[in-house]
Amino acid sequence: MVERHIWLSLFCHVVLLIGAAVVCLPLYFAFVAGSLTVSEVQQVPFPLVPGDHFVENTVSAWKEGDFGRLYLNSIIVTVGIVVGKLAASVIAGFAVTYFRFPFRMTAFWLIFISLMLPVEVRIIPTYEAVADAGGPLRSFFAAIGLTGFLASTTGYQLDAALQWNMINSYGGLILPLIASASATFLFRQFFLTVPDELCEAAKLDGAGPLKFFRDVLLPLSSSNIAALSIILFLYGWNQYLWPLLFTTEKEMYTAMIGLKDLIPVADAQPAWHLAMAASFFVMAPPALVILLMQRWFTRGLVDSSK
Amino acid sequence: MASIYVRSVAGLLAAGALLMGAAGASAAERVKIEWWYAISGKLGETVQQLISDFNKSQDKYEVVGTFKGNYEETMAAMVAAYRVNQQPAILQSAERGFMTMLKSGAIIPADELMAKQGYKIDWSDFVKPVAGFYIVNGKPAALPFNSSTPILWYNADALKAAGFGAPADTWQGLEKQLYALKEKKVTDCPMALPGDFQWSLIENYSAINDQPFGTKANGYGGLDTEFVYNKTSVVGQVARLKKWIDDGVLKIAGQGVAPISLYTSGTCASIINSTASHSAVEADAKFKWSAAVMPHEEGVQPKNSTIGGAALWAIKGKPEEVQAGVAAFFNYVAQPTVQEWWSKATGYVPVTNAAYAKMKQDGYFKNHPTREIAIEQLSRGEPTDNSRGFRFGNHNQATAILLEEMQAVWTGKKAPQEALDSSVKRGNEILRQYEKLHAGK
Amino acid sequence: MPASDAMRLNVGAAARPRFPLRLKLGSLVSSSETGLKSSHFRRPWLAAGLLAPQLLILLFFFFIPTWKALSLAFVQVDPFGATMIFVGLDNFTTLFSSPEYRDSAVLTLWFTTVQCFVTLFVAGLFAFATDQVMRGRAIYKGVILLPYAIAPAISGVLWAFLFNPTVGPLAQMLHELGYAWDPNRRPSDALLLVSVAAIWKHVCYDYIFLVAAFLAVPASVIEAGAIDGAGPVRRFLTITLPMAAPTIFFLIVMNFVYGLFETFGIIDVITHGGPAGSTNTLVYKVYQDGFRQLDLGSSAAQSVVLMAIAVLFTVLQFRAVERKVNYQV
Repeated sequence: MVERHIWLSLFCHVVLLIGAAVVCLPLYFAFVAGSLTVSEVQQVPFPLVPGDHFVENTVSAWKEGDFGRLYLNSIIVTVGIVVGKLAASVIAGFAVTYFRFPFRMTAFWLIFISLMLPVEVRIIPTYEAVADAGGPLRSFFAAIGLTGFLASTTGYQLDAALQWNMINSYGGLILPLIASASATFLFRQFFLTVPDELCEAAKLDGAGPLKFFRDVLLPLSSSNIAALSIILFLYGWNQYLWPLLFTTEKEMYTAMIGLKDLIPVADAQPAWHLAMAASFFVMAPPALVILLMQRWFTRGLVDSSK
Repeated sequence: MASIYVRSVAGLLAAGALLMGAAGASAAERVKIEWWYAISGKLGETVQQLISDFNKSQDKYEVVGTFKGNYEETMAAMVAAYRVNQQPAILQSAERGFMTMLKSGAIIPADELMAKQGYKIDWSDFVKPVAGFYIVNGKPAALPFNSSTPILWYNADALKAAGFGAPADTWQGLEKQLYALKEKKVTDCPMALPGDFQWSLIENYSAINDQPFGTKANGYGGLDTEFVYNKTSVVGQVARLKKWIDDGVLKIAGQGVAPISLYTSGTCASIINSTASHSAVEADAKFKWSAAVMPHEEGVQPKNSTIGGAALWAIKGKPEEVQAGVAAFFNYVAQPTVQEWWSKATGYVPVTNAAYAKMKQDGYFKNHPTREIAIEQLSRGEPTDNSRGFRFGNHNQATAILLEEMQAVWTGKKAPQEALDSSVKRGNEILRQYEKLHAGK
Repeated sequence: MPASDAMRLNVGAAARPRFPLRLKLGSLVSSSETGLKSSHFRRPWLAAGLLAPQLLILLFFFFIPTWKALSLAFVQVDPFGATMIFVGLDNFTTLFSSPEYRDSAVLTLWFTTVQCFVTLFVAGLFAFATDQVMRGRAIYKGVILLPYAIAPAISGVLWAFLFNPTVGPLAQMLHELGYAWDPNRRPSDALLLVSVAAIWKHVCYDYIFLVAAFLAVPASVIEAGAIDGAGPVRRFLTITLPMAAPTIFFLIVMNFVYGLFETFGIIDVITHGGPAGSTNTLVYKVYQDGFRQLDLGSSAAQSVVLMAIAVLFTVLQFRAVERKVNYQV
């Protein structure tokens, strides 16, 4: 076994304690603000110790926002984002690292370039694209003459079949947020480190690519999948602008929009205590995911190599 | 709840496929009127109250109000939705987006809508600067909804401690008082700078002191307007503010705190802020608070101030029965009793003279004297070309530039004249761009 | 995992050289340049099938919208789409002749680079420490990650509040230490604040992947290093770090992308790009002009420029850095 170093160990504890304290600063002050009354929250200097209205604020924030339904939407959308993105990325990453085929690097760069413009800065065209996802296909088929051909020969109205409106659907909330390359890139990086002997051995055993993928690569990737799940869950859960703009029905709103609705605007009383208290129950699901997932990803390779 | 659950499961199964937003069958007899609004927190609750009151008042229409983020987010949502025919029937849009909405081709002018649906609204009854802002060629384009104007809030206890009964009428007098507050160590922060100071301390300053902000009657006379505020007493005003900031008399609130909180918490002895701050001040200020009209320059006959806030727009492309519902809702909102209730609940200005008269008659202002200041200030004198309001294309872009240049003054990067020159030059480029795009209309 | 695979993995790990760094340059495999495993499959249609979901999603929800957005770079357009004028390269010439835009470009490169490496360093320090401690590892990990579950709208406001020169408790502390902290009037303070907040926000990302990467180093290799007499720090530098190089490269690229593209939200809450444009990065400007001001033409032109910069830097990173990354240690 590896020997222990007292000083190093002490140093590490100190680093982690300081680090934990610093990253938790906003969390602590959110708690303090969430435990005050509306006039206390505006005091100068701001109190450094919590008050005793946290439960009360939480309850009234919960009631005001009708969060039950928002939660359900958020969970569906977030799980959709996590699962969808992981699934699409891991197989795409597998394809670009483990297969020789024409335009392999082109495919990789095509995927990679999607990191380069976030949804928020191209939101209006993305909205159009999702509100009318069939639009490009209609133009394409019309341009190559298929629409007219089908209509004249079989009477089939291709245009009518290609009216896909995803407004107010979970698909519309999820898909544009999956359209990014970060996870594919990560899997590519990880697969490149997997020892070649594993693939050779699989080939010798007569295993095809899919079997190799399922039995060897996926289990090896578990810690990366866990880490990605946490990151993607945070990403999906904290989405605000896209769900806000994209849904026109309240039944499709997410918890993050409910939280924003509690944040006071310039002309209103700065009632921050409610928003701050609400931020705690809004953060509960991602917090739970962090706690559950991080247990899982500590295992992974370590166990298998001990 | 059950139907939501079913839809959720369906959504999961569909994951990526389509799910049309078919709402539940309840309330199907009522015509749904979608309204997107942009105010949250306590004000958002008041809006929901207004909606539910309207829905209870009749049984033909159901207004569904949806919070769509702040004004900019709501506008972006509107633009995106309009392009794919998903727009709401009513949109709340800030006064800075007036021209954008007006020229969008996406709206039905309010008076046209009301006339067509057989409602008579006495537009001449609207308080002058409010009407002056929203009336185009004699006809109102939108229904004024939440209107405010900046007033001077002060801490009477602090002023008294420095030996003053009330704030001075003029900037010169106020300067002496603020410096006295500091020198006598009454407070470390005599005044807080509001976040939207370009609105209160530059635009409204220009209106009150009858200084042109732009040519062509501040844009009312045509799209070929140009900014001229770098040639007026605004230059002196900016220099004064800069001096106050340097001397610690005026504190920039900055991000992370609502400037009005600096006042209500007693940290700063005064602030020039929207009259809509009433709800915050009444609830939170633990000292003897009061308010007064905004100061003016010495030797100037002060004019009216201008309004801020937002209006309700009727949006095109909706079926006839929805338009009828929009008109019914507008009619409801314009009623004096509703105006009175709204004004009392929020601190916004009652926008009609009838509502104002009613509140006065009921003696409301006797108990709430500061609530009357805004309306007095708005109706002070006969509006001139300089005080009617501002009608500049893409005004929010020019505003962002003005704010940036003013910050360059606060940081000492630029002298007031230099910054204002640059702001005017950059602002004019935006006006020309706008003119070019809209010349044909 | 089936037992036989685990066995093979162990064999592979134990058979590897003890100090990979020394051997690295010599054994640099060609696969790191092409990104293709030397042991691979030749089933083009299967590969196409595996790529299809991702490429289709990207086509509909990235390429088509992005194409639509960027094609506006050559026009001036009313946000509602009522009027559109073709202006050629006007939007670009306006940008390049604007001193504010050039300042913003310089600022962006600074901000992104500093943010990229500081985040990586801080996260690396935390991950190293987490890797070393025996007791409380899970607790530390949880506590360091938890704050990131809070909504960005809330944490952003809190950062601005804590460092607000008039009311912020932490600003008060700085004042007591004799530092005239004032992000409203001192551009350097504002930039510092935005950088710290941006770093804070992204540390969790780097941390979680580094923890995973450090953990993935087989214990047998570490033990071999220990037997050779290398101390823990030396083992970290010569064994763990090189083995985590692919992840580190991934993080450098991702940090860069984050700094260039994803920081507008935090800037919006903390400084609004001020004072006087001192924290107005390129992406914040795109967001402001495109989303807030609905100046779609100019914002499209800016997006084109921003994407060009990003692609250029990424290609450079792949050329310069990835060559040094050894995937088969």
